[in-house]
Amino acid sequence: MNLEDRIEIFGKILVNHRIKVILGSLLIIFTISFGMKFLETPSGYRGFVEEDFKYYKDVLDLEEKYGNIDVLTFVVKPEKGNIFQKDVLNLIHELTEISWQTPYSSRVSSITNHQYTTVDGDDISISDFVHDVDSLSTNEIANLYNAAVLEDAVVNFVMSESGKIGLVNINLEMPEDIAFQEPISFAWEQKNYFENRYEDIFVGVAGSAQFSHNFQSTSESDASKMYPSFLLLIIILTYILLRSVVASIISLIVIMLSILPSLGAAGWLGFEVQPPLITAPIIILTISLTHAIHMLSIGLTNMTEGMTKNDAIIESLKINFVPIFLTSFTTAAGIAGINFGDIPAYSEMANTVVIGAGIGFILSVTMLPAMFSLLPINARKRKSYVLEVLKNLGELIYKFKERFVIVITAICIAVFSLLPNLHFDDYFSTYFDRVPEWLEVKNTVDPEFGSSFYIFSDMQSNEPDGITNPEYLKKLDDFESWLLTQPEVADVSTISDVIKTLHKNMNGGLDEYYAIPDNKALIAQYLLLYEFSVPYGMDLKNQMTADKSDSRILIRTNNSTSMESVAFNARVDEWVNENISPFSTNGVAGIPIMMPQLFVENTRGLVIGLLISFTFIIMVVGISLQSFRYGIISIVPNIIPFVLGFGLLTLATDMVTAAHQFAVLISIGLVVDATIHFLSKYKKALAINLPPREAIQYCFRFVGYPIIVASICLFSGFLFLTQSMFYYNFIIGGMCALIIMIALLIDLLLLPALLLIFGKKV
Amino acid sequence: MKFAKIIFIIFALFPFYLSAETAEEQGLRIAKASYENGRGFTDMVSDQLMILIDPKGNEVTREVSGKTLENLDPNDGDKSLTYFKTPKDVEGTVMLSHTHISDDDDQWLYLPALGRVKRISSSNKSGAFMGSEVAFEDFSGTDYRKYEWKFLGEEMENNETFYKLESYPNYENSGYSKRISLIDNLNRTYKVDFYDRKGELLKTLYLEDYVLYKDKIWMANTMKVENIQNKNITIFKWLNRELDVGINKKDFEKSSILRLAD
Repeated sequence: MNLEDRIEIFGKILVNHRIKVILGSLLIIFTISFGMKFLETPSGYRGFVEEDFKYYKDVLDLEEKYGNIDVLTFVVKPEKGNIFQKDVLNLIHELTEISWQTPYSSRVSSITNHQYTTVDGDDISISDFVHDVDSLSTNEIANLYNAAVLEDAVVNFVMSESGKIGLVNINLEMPEDIAFQEPISFAWEQKNYFENRYEDIFVGVAGSAQFSHNFQSTSESDASKMYPSFLLLIIILTYILLRSVVASIISLIVIMLSILPSLGAAGWLGFEVQPPLITAPIIILTISLTHAIHMLSIGLTNMTEGMTKNDAIIESLKINFVPIFLTSFTTAAGIAGINFGDIPAYSEMANTVVIGAGIGFILSVTMLPAMFSLLPINARKRKSYVLEVLKNLGELIYKFKERFVIVITAICIAVFSLLPNLHFDDYFSTYFDRVPEWLEVKNTVDPEFGSSFYIFSDMQSNEPDGITNPEYLKKLDDFESWLLTQPEVADVSTISDVIKTLHKNMNGGLDEYYAIPDNKALIAQYLLLYEFSVPYGMDLKNQMTADKSDSRILIRTNNSTSMESVAFNARVDEWVNENISPFSTNGVAGIPIMMPQLFVENTRGLVIGLLISFTFIIMVVGISLQSFRYGIISIVPNIIPFVLGFGLLTLATDMVTAAHQFAVLISIGLVVDATIHFLSKYKKALAINLPPREAIQYCFRFVGYPIIVASICLFSGFLFLTQSMFYYNFIIGGMCALIIMIALLIDLLLLPALLLIFGKKV
Repeated sequence: MKFAKIIFIIFALFPFYLSAETAEEQGLRIAKASYENGRGFTDMVSDQLMILIDPKGNEVTREVSGKTLENLDPNDGDKSLTYFKTPKDVEGTVMLSHTHISDDDDQWLYLPALGRVKRISSSNKSGAFMGSEVAFEDFSGTDYRKYEWKFLGEEMENNETFYKLESYPNYENSGYSKRISLIDNLNRTYKVDFYDRKGELLKTLYLEDYVLYKDKIWMANTMKVENIQNKNITIFKWLNRELDVGINKKDFEKSSILRLAD
């Protein structure tokens, strides 16, 4: 018994037991879908890395010693002038006071509560830098700028050097597994309140806490904004393609039912609803839709040609079972390659799509035929302009096959020469550039401060009380000076700055004493004095260990690309290796180090994943066609879309980000689908002894239309992803849509020509 | 029978007499009694250990010795001298404090390595000192007059009944929104919960090893502070505490610490 007979028997069983099939499927689907309630809220940027990722562990080590690195920042910018105006200072003062109420806050620092030391001989007086704003004269307020700009701890940390922007930094001490929802909601309430009260002053919410929360908020807004309109798009698309209300309803039910259990399975597996996962239902829906369209359009065509409804769907099942299986398989194989990357959120997305592709396949060959058989369907004969066009196209290609190959090859070579302009790189800071509120804050902060992000270094003296050793402090100073020469660094703050300021203040406030004294005991005594006079939430616990053996360096970064950051990190390690002894440090750590390293590791993994997936897919194609020659020929139309796609990308950017790489793995298995359909039909045509010219026409007649329809579905689905607020989703959507369109053109224009020239021998 | 009735009515009304005192008044009364419980020592010498324990269990110990002079003026605070002994680098450092009820404290610090005395005035010293979990206001805060009080009721803990008091700082720049204290029937403070500015539990202070001095003064010789938020622990131990030893009052004058620098 051959495969087709088996499928026919299978189809008859389905049709005869259609109610049981439908109810059984529904039962299984809802059981699995129940898992959706276990889907986890995203843990922000921390959920973007593996827990044992080296550069994340560095961050955790640092946090264990000095407390959580996450900061929530208010950005205050008056429309005109600098922050030294009565109402701006009043705003900052009030905002600073209310910020202590932020859930999970541990410290609050701003220009107003900056501890300012004035010296009169041996009398040292410490007070808030700005107090009683209303009692200050305009002149006194203006003079504050001149004093502020001299303070190390102020410039670039709570005020930009120009004085145009003030920051209120809130350190958060988040318990494990708690999202930033509460502090962020609190901050946004304050932002809205203060912006209402002070009309000409911009108040923004920034910092790593907001960055992290963006993962959650973009997921939520994407899901609530994209899903309903996408569904509408699908309904319209399905009706246009099938021209049958009932058939449209069937396909909608089946594709919807393939999403629910995929998300349910994702829930059972404990996946997080990170922004990438939001794309999974759209991709699954699109893939399932192509299956449904293939099944239904052939079923409907069969009915118009006089078959009964049951025969029509069984016949469609016979024609489509293997191609749907193969295309689901290659799609899954391509996307599964994402698991070779290092970003769990994308692996989770990929695995959800793989599960969805599997479920989509099963439903397309079980529930869909059963429902087709059950529901009343009237098929109307369609006039097909498309078939007419395709027929002419086939003739054209036959006549000018060499020219088609030469012209397309020439285009490919021309575009190929653009590829060296591309390189692997990205900016993690662009993740949320499509969120207007975030972009506004970023565009306010970055020009004045470099970026919103910090990195840290843990400098170890290797002995108790070692940080009061002048040698240690001088080494810190050297490290700081070197760091400041690096383009990736905006500013540096170390404990040696504190000591230098103390030394100055202990010596009548004379600038010549702004240096590290040579006496260890003296330094220890300074520090003792300092530690006795700090206000609430300003102790040095986040800067040094209790036994005073280690201290933390705080570095504000400039926006850098991943490759720049990785190179910077390597230079830091090199400098440290050569210069740091007898002290020690593990180099630098923080979000701007971790995310770029993640990018590099991820790229390395994805390249391997791509090679494995691609080889695997080509083998599957070759084996399914049982032809080495066709396996080789199939490579051409499957590589060219990527060459052309990335060539066109050079017009927009020179960076191949992780998102572009994901796009390759997501689309590779989809691009192959059309080739599989086309090649299998061509082989079948030759097998029934059609000459090549007729064989091409045969292919166009039978698979031309479904290929176009499937590509339009995929193109629409991916194009829709460009609505996402998450930059990577936007890129993935755009890139996949572009590649799929090119692939369609190549499959229609180049593949037939290639087959006519090289595919004669079977 | 009539007589019995009157007795009965008097007893029945008795609780109303008690409740004639408001929760605030009752709180203040207990807090005052508790405060006065530790007064009358005239002067005091002791050695102190400060032990810092981080969440991983690493310990750091600092040693100081101190002298305190009781201020018999009820409207002003005590004076104290602190001599730092370890780590070695701060040995010989001396701190003189004159605490005040309503004004900022006066503080002078003699730094031997600098050979000078520095006077430090700071309006806001609510931060934890020396890497500990304890702030100055936790010490000076024992003076009941710095708080508004409220009696919350009685509470059982470890099979003992305590008065439960709530107190709110009535001075600026406090790091706390409120404190909740448990005081035993001998008016000794047993435990204090400190709530941070946003109203969350920040740390708990336990007072242990109470010793009765001069047959009337209860003093705790161990203070343990557990920070609930950062999981650090600080322990203070008083060793060799002696009261009423007759220290020269002049030792506590500004001039005496200035003399160290000569």
